[in-house]
Amino acid sequence: MTGTEARALSETVRGTLATLKDVAGITGSFVCTNEGRLVAREIPALFEDAVLSEAGNRLLRVSETFASNGDELETAVIRYGDHRLFLKSITGGLLCIVVSGPVNMPALRMAANLVGRRISPAVARTQAEPPPEAAPARPDVAQAGPGRSGGIPGMRRFRGRAVE
Amino acid sequence: MIVQKRETNDVETAADEREAPVPGGTAATRGFSAQLRGASLWDLVQLECLSRSRRCIRVVGEGGVGYLFFDRGRVIHAATAQAIGEAAAVEVLAWTNGSFEACERPWPEQPSIAAGLEALLLRTAQLCDERAASNLVAFPTRPGDGDETYEELQIGDLEAHGGGEMRSSNTDDMLTPPPRVEISGDFAVVMRLGPTGAIMSSRGGSEELGQAVAYVERLLQLTGEMLGLGPFSALECTFTHERCLIFCEGGGETVALRPRADANLTALRERLGL
Repeated sequence: MTGTEARALSETVRGTLATLKDVAGITGSFVCTNEGRLVAREIPALFEDAVLSEAGNRLLRVSETFASNGDELETAVIRYGDHRLFLKSITGGLLCIVVSGPVNMPALRMAANLVGRRISPAVARTQAEPPPEAAPARPDVAQAGPGRSGGIPGMRRFRGRAVE
Repeated sequence: MIVQKRETNDVETAADEREAPVPGGTAATRGFSAQLRGASLWDLVQLECLSRSRRCIRVVGEGGVGYLFFDRGRVIHAATAQAIGEAAAVEVLAWTNGSFEACERPWPEQPSIAAGLEALLLRTAQLCDERAASNLVAFPTRPGDGDETYEELQIGDLEAHGGGEMRSSNTDDMLTPPPRVEISGDFAVVMRLGPTGAIMSSRGGSEELGQAVAYVERLLQLTGEMLGLGPFSALECTFTHERCLIFCEGGGETVALRPRADANLTALRERLGL
């Protein structure tokens, strides 16, 4: 997926996320892939991309923690002071909805179900694709296996292996 | 804590209560309805004794439902799902959260408690001391209520699940536990973790669950701080087959609950702000 395609996909998902705001009390929402990559956001600029991405990563780890005990997370409601975070697992990622103050929870669940269903294909596709920025470099990385001399310029290597 | 002295013609449960008039039972009279938050059960019991009334009080607490029968300033009979008589009275008096309301029950043929109220309270205090490592769940303060303990229990929700079935003209039925009304009975797992993640008490839980709960709580604290949403207080997860609740209590303790499939969580959700 090229950068342009990724941006178009993200914009489509963002448009779908915007429909969540029909439910009063929803501040905004964002979607991460299972790798923690921010796919799209429809939330005030107060929340920076990096923050959302990091938060998404942690929330995914919450899901993984439960999964390690055999519990596959479907939805979660998290209370923070006057705010709530509603999570919904979707194919390839996690939908996170920020709620402030009172909200009609059944309506929120239904809206999240519909949005989740609608954005799942796009999120799954994003999850399956490498990040757009890394796309041109990917073939080099693939070739840069042990014993090969290739690699990303500037990458530190030792005995043919990448050094973290 | 709810105290309700109900008029029989304006309460939804009154119709049920009228269906089977109980000889020797308490006739509901005129009076005030009141809601007290943060009241101690002991205070309410002493108040009832002071009034020297003859009535049955239904107490719904963390251990389930119990009935206290008052007559002329004494508790003369008590019944819970597990016990009857003095043992039941002490069990009920040891509860710390719940509701307290007058109800109509079949009156016992004979008193089952000889001890006075003071003696009962002393035995209860002793029992509480012995249960220092109890795993009862004390519900946390409702967000926004400051430090005031929010003890009100949604009695309506509980009654909807079994209140009607609890009324019987057969005295033996008093010992039949009502289905799914016990707060604690609705949870297959009740686990309490200390501030350092150590398992302080557990019923049905495992070490792995304790580890998961401790880590999840930490992750959620960090997430809340990062997003500027405030401190983490509670979580409800729905899994493919089960549910799980995790919430913070005072003193840095964390409680994890796994409700049974048919448990009614409405009151608990409301209390936790979920």
